[in-house]
Amino acid sequence: MSGQRHATMVAAATLALTLTPLIGIFEGVGWTVPVLLTITVIATAGSLIRAAGRGQGLQTVAMCAGLLVVLTAGFGDGTALLFIIPLPATFEHFGVLASEGVAGIVTEAPPVAAEGGILFLTLLGIGLVAVLHDMFVVGLRTPALAGLTLLTMYLVPVSVAPDATAWFWFILPAVSYLWLLADDNLRRVSAFGHRFTGTGQLVSQKFPSPMARTARWSALGFIVLTLVSLTVVPTNTSGFIDRVAEDWEGGGDAGLGDVNPWAQLSGSLNRPEEVDVLRVSTDDPSPPYLRMHVLDELDSDGFGPNDYDDHQSLDLEEAEGETFTADIENLRMEAPVVPVYGTPVDLSIDGNWDRDADTGVIIGDNSDMGDVEEYTLTYTDQEPDAETLANADGMDPSDERWEANTEHPEVAEVSSHVDEALGDADTVHEKVLAVYKYLSIGNGFRYSLETTEAGNDEAIVDFLETKEGYCQQYAAAMAWMLREADVAARVVIGMSQGSRDGDEWVLTSHDYHAWVEVYYDGPGWVMYDPTPSAGVPGAVSTPWATEPAPEGEPTQEPDATADPSEAPSDATPSAEGGPTAGAEQPTDSPSLQGAEDGSEGGSGFNPAWLLLLIVAALPFLPALARGLLRRRRLDPARLTAKTAWDEVLDLALDYGVGLSDSLTPRQAAGVLGQAAPGAREAATVLGSAMARHRYSPSGADPTGLADAVRDLHTELDKNAEPRRRYQAMFWPASLLAKASAKQAEESARLARRSARATDRVRSAVRRPRRSNSRKDRSVTGRP
Amino acid sequence: MTFESSPGQPPQAPVPLSPQEFKATAEGILTNVEWVIEGKSHTIKLAIAVMLAEGHLLLEDVPGVGKTQLAKALARSVDCSVRRIQFTPDLLPSDVTGVSIFDPEKRDFVFKPGAIFGNLILGDEINRASPKTQAALLECMEERQVTVDGNTYKLRSPFMVIATQNPVEMEGTYPLPEAQRDRFAARLAIGYPDINAELALLDRREEYNPLDALRPVADAEMIVRMIAAARAVHLAPELKRYVVDLVAATRTNPQVRLGASPRATLQLLRCTQVLAAMDGRDFALPDDVQQLAVPVLAHRLIPTTETTMGGGDTKAIVSDILRHVPVVSNPGRY
Repeated sequence: MSGQRHATMVAAATLALTLTPLIGIFEGVGWTVPVLLTITVIATAGSLIRAAGRGQGLQTVAMCAGLLVVLTAGFGDGTALLFIIPLPATFEHFGVLASEGVAGIVTEAPPVAAEGGILFLTLLGIGLVAVLHDMFVVGLRTPALAGLTLLTMYLVPVSVAPDATAWFWFILPAVSYLWLLADDNLRRVSAFGHRFTGTGQLVSQKFPSPMARTARWSALGFIVLTLVSLTVVPTNTSGFIDRVAEDWEGGGDAGLGDVNPWAQLSGSLNRPEEVDVLRVSTDDPSPPYLRMHVLDELDSDGFGPNDYDDHQSLDLEEAEGETFTADIENLRMEAPVVPVYGTPVDLSIDGNWDRDADTGVIIGDNSDMGDVEEYTLTYTDQEPDAETLANADGMDPSDERWEANTEHPEVAEVSSHVDEALGDADTVHEKVLAVYKYLSIGNGFRYSLETTEAGNDEAIVDFLETKEGYCQQYAAAMAWMLREADVAARVVIGMSQGSRDGDEWVLTSHDYHAWVEVYYDGPGWVMYDPTPSAGVPGAVSTPWATEPAPEGEPTQEPDATADPSEAPSDATPSAEGGPTAGAEQPTDSPSLQGAEDGSEGGSGFNPAWLLLLIVAALPFLPALARGLLRRRRLDPARLTAKTAWDEVLDLALDYGVGLSDSLTPRQAAGVLGQAAPGAREAATVLGSAMARHRYSPSGADPTGLADAVRDLHTELDKNAEPRRRYQAMFWPASLLAKASAKQAEESARLARRSARATDRVRSAVRRPRRSNSRKDRSVTGRP
Repeated sequence: MTFESSPGQPPQAPVPLSPQEFKATAEGILTNVEWVIEGKSHTIKLAIAVMLAEGHLLLEDVPGVGKTQLAKALARSVDCSVRRIQFTPDLLPSDVTGVSIFDPEKRDFVFKPGAIFGNLILGDEINRASPKTQAALLECMEERQVTVDGNTYKLRSPFMVIATQNPVEMEGTYPLPEAQRDRFAARLAIGYPDINAELALLDRREEYNPLDALRPVADAEMIVRMIAAARAVHLAPELKRYVVDLVAATRTNPQVRLGASPRATLQLLRCTQVLAAMDGRDFALPDDVQQLAVPVLAHRLIPTTETTMGGGDTKAIVSDILRHVPVVSNPGRY
C-alpha cells in the first residue's frame, strides 16, 4: 500500500515538474498555487480510494470528482451548494467561463494573466491530464504511457507560445519522465526481492544497479547527441533552434517588449465575440484608418515592427491640408503606441509619449494606452490624387531609408509572381497599381480568415498560390512584392474606420487591420489597402489606387469608388452586418464572401466543445469496440461454432474466468459452467459445437449458438462481482489481450528476423579455418 | 489347435461396424468384465481400448488385485482362447514360442506350438524370466508371428498380451529394458478396490465365481470388425498436431532423460480412435487423448536421476505436460 502511495506522489511530482514550461505563458507565478492544489487534491482522492482497495474505475471517478470540487470551490461564484457541490447553475457558469477562456486564449498574446476563464480552462485541462497521468502511472502501472500525458503538458506552451518556450524548459519534463520510469522499474524489480549485480552480489535499493550502467551511459549519449544534432541541423523559421539561438544571445525583441502586433491582429480578428475598443467623435465625415504600428523590417520571418529607436519629442508640425479634430475614448485598448489618424498636428494625451521620426508612430516612453482614458487628436487627412502619384518618382536609392524599406529575402516563387504581376509596368505608380490589381478579387484572390496566421516567407508563398488570406497576408504580400519591384513599401497595422454609432464611431476588436504604405517622392508615404473591402468592416476607399486615365484626366473617370464622405451612410451588408460596412462594394465581389467571413469571425462553433466531447467519449470506446466485435461474431450470416467460441473465450477473459490453453473445448465449457451455473447447458452446447467444428469431418451446426452465447454472457455478468462487471464493460481484458498478443507476435517476428540477420553476418564474417595450416608452425606433436 | 503356416492368404477385409453397434458391443464387453472386477470401469475401458487398438497391455500392480481375472474376463467376454504363462527364471524361449519335436512315426519334425498361440496371453510376472525369454515374447508381440527352425507361424487375431509386473518385490528380477517396455501400448494399474466395491465383491463371491457365469458378448470375428471400425475414426489435423506436440514435449522436458518414441505417437492415436468409437463418435477429440496420455506415455519415459531421487515419477511428468501443452498450437487461440 505504501508503495502505491509512493507511486502516487511520484506521479504528482512529475506532473508538477512538467508544468514548468507553462511559466512562460502566464504572468507571474501566482497560478502555480491553484494548479498544485488541483494536482494534490486529485492525487489524494485517487490514493484514498486505492488505499480502500477499490478498483481503477472508482479511483478515476473519485479523481474526477476531486477535480470538480476544486473547480467548483474556485470558480463556483456562489452558484454551488456549500461552496463545493456543483449545481446546474454552476455548470452554466463553467460554460461561460470556458468560452471566456477560449476567447482569451485566442486573443491574448502570452504572457497572459492567469485569471478567470483562462485559469479555469488551465485547471480543467491540467486536472484531466492529472487523472490520466495517475491512472497510467499508479493504477495501470504503465508509466511509459504517462509519457503521453507529460508530452501533452509540454506541447501546450510550445504550441501556444513558441516564443515564450525556451529549449531548456524541456529538461525538467524529460527528467521527470525518466524519474517516473526509473521509479516504477525499481518498484517492479524490488517486488521480486533482492537486486543483484551481474556477478551475483546483492545491491541495496538505494544504489543504482551496476547492470543498468550501460543503459545509463547510452541514455546520456543519446541526449547529448540529440542536443548536438539540434544545434547543427538547419531548420526553417519558427523552429526550436531559432528560439535556442535567441535565448542564447539573451535577446528578445527590443523596443516593443513582448507585444507582437501580428499576433494581436490575428487574435483580435479571430476573437469569437466582438468587443468595443475605441470610441471616436470627430468632425471628419469619413475618418481614415488609425495607424498604430509600422512594420518595415522584412526577413524570412515576415514583416517585423520597426525598432522605433528614432525617438523625438512630441513636437508636432503643422501640415498642409484640411485639419480635423477627434476626441478618442479608450474603452479597452492596451498598447505602447497611440493610434492616430493621418498626420497628427496636435495631440493632447496623458503620459510621456514620443514620436518616432522615421515612421510617424507615437510611441510611449514608459507610458501605455492602458493608462489613457481619452485623448484629443488634431490631424490632416492625406488625399493625394492619382495624377500626382502617376508622375511622382519613388524613393531615391541614395536615400538613407532606402535600404530599410526595400530590403527583402530572395524567394524565387515570390519573384515569379512579381514578374507576372508587373508585366510592363514602369513607373512607381504603375508598379503599385499592377501589384494592387494582381491581388484583387478579379485575379481570384479571396478573403478568408481561415489561414495560418504566419506572415513568413512560406505563408506569403502559400497565399500567392492558394489566393486565400486576410489583411495580414494581403498587406505583407503587397509590400513584399513592391519591395521585390524596387519600390519602398511597408506594412502598417492599426484599425479601420469602424462603424458609425450616431455621431460617433465605434471601433471594435474586429476592426483591427493591416495595410500598406508606399513611398512617393513628394507626397511621401501613401496608403494602399489591398484587402478586399468586403472582408474589412469599415474599409476606407483609396481613390488614388485606381488606374489614372492614360490621358491624365483622373477626375473624369467614371469610378466605382464614390466620394469617401458619402461612404459611411451607404450601408452595404457586410461581414459583421454592421450598418457601415465597406464603403465601396468591389464590383466583382461575390456575396458569398461576406457570409463566409461572418462564420469565420463571428461566434460560431467552438472547437473546445468538440475536444470536450471527444474526451468525454474516450472512456466508452473500448466498450463500443467490444460490442461491435461481439455483434460481428454473432451475426447470423457469419456465425460458426468457431466465431461463437471465440466470443466465449473473450467473455471468459473479460469476466476473469481462467481458461488454460491446455483445456479442450469440453473442459473449458465445464469450467465456464462452474463460473456461471445458470448457463451450464449453454456452455456445454458451445463447447461440444466447437469440438465438433474443430475435430469432426462433418463440422458443427451453428443454430442456436448465438443464443447460447447470450445466455452465457448474461449468467457470467450476473455472477460477477460489481467491479469485475464494470471492468468487463468498459475495459474488457480481451481487447487488451489481443493488442498485447499482436505486439508479442510482432516483437517475436522482429527478434527472429534480427537473429537471422545476425546469423548471416556471422557466417559471412566467419572464415574457413584450417587447423595446422600455418607454415611456420608445423605439427610436432609427440615424438 | 489350428494355425496357419506362413505365407498365409491375405485376410479378407472385415466389414466395419457402425458407431452405434461399436458402442453397444464395447459396452457389452465392459459390463461383462465389470461383473468380475468391480468398481474399475475406467481401467477396464482402457484395457478394452488397448485390445481393440491391437496393442499389448502391461499391468503393473501388486498381487491379488485381479490382473488375471481381468485378462480372463476379457477373454471370456469375447469368446476367444486365453493362455497363461507363468514367467520364472528357468523359463525357456521355446516354452513360449513352441518347439519342433521329432515324431518317430512320421519320421519328421513336428512343430509343437508354445503358449503364445492363443488370442489373449497372460504373461504373469514377466520380469522374473530371463532376458532371453522376455526377448522371445516381445518379438512375437511386435511381429505377430513365430519363427521356429526356419518356419514362420502366424499368430491368431485378435492377439493381445497382458503382462503383469510386481512393482514392489524387485529381488531376483530382470526388469524390462526401456526398449521392450516401449512395445506395450499402455501400462495400467488396477489398484485396490474401494470399500463399497470390495464389499460387493465379497457378496457376489459367496456363492460362485462370477467368472464362471460370464457369457461371451462378441466373438473373435466381431473383434476383428471392431478393430477395423476403430481405424476408420476421423483424426483431425489439429488433433494429430496435438498428439505430436504432446509426444514432442516428453522429449524436451528437462525432467526426462528419454522421451516417447514415434511408436508411442502411433499407438496413442490408435487408442484414441478406439476410445472415440467406444463413445459412439466417428471422430476423435483431445479429451480422448488426455484420458490415454498417462497410460500410453508414462511407462516409456526414463526420468533423469534427479527426478527419481526427488521422488518424481513419470506419471506426474505426463500429467504436467498435459497441463501445459496447448490443445491448439496456434498462438493467440485456445
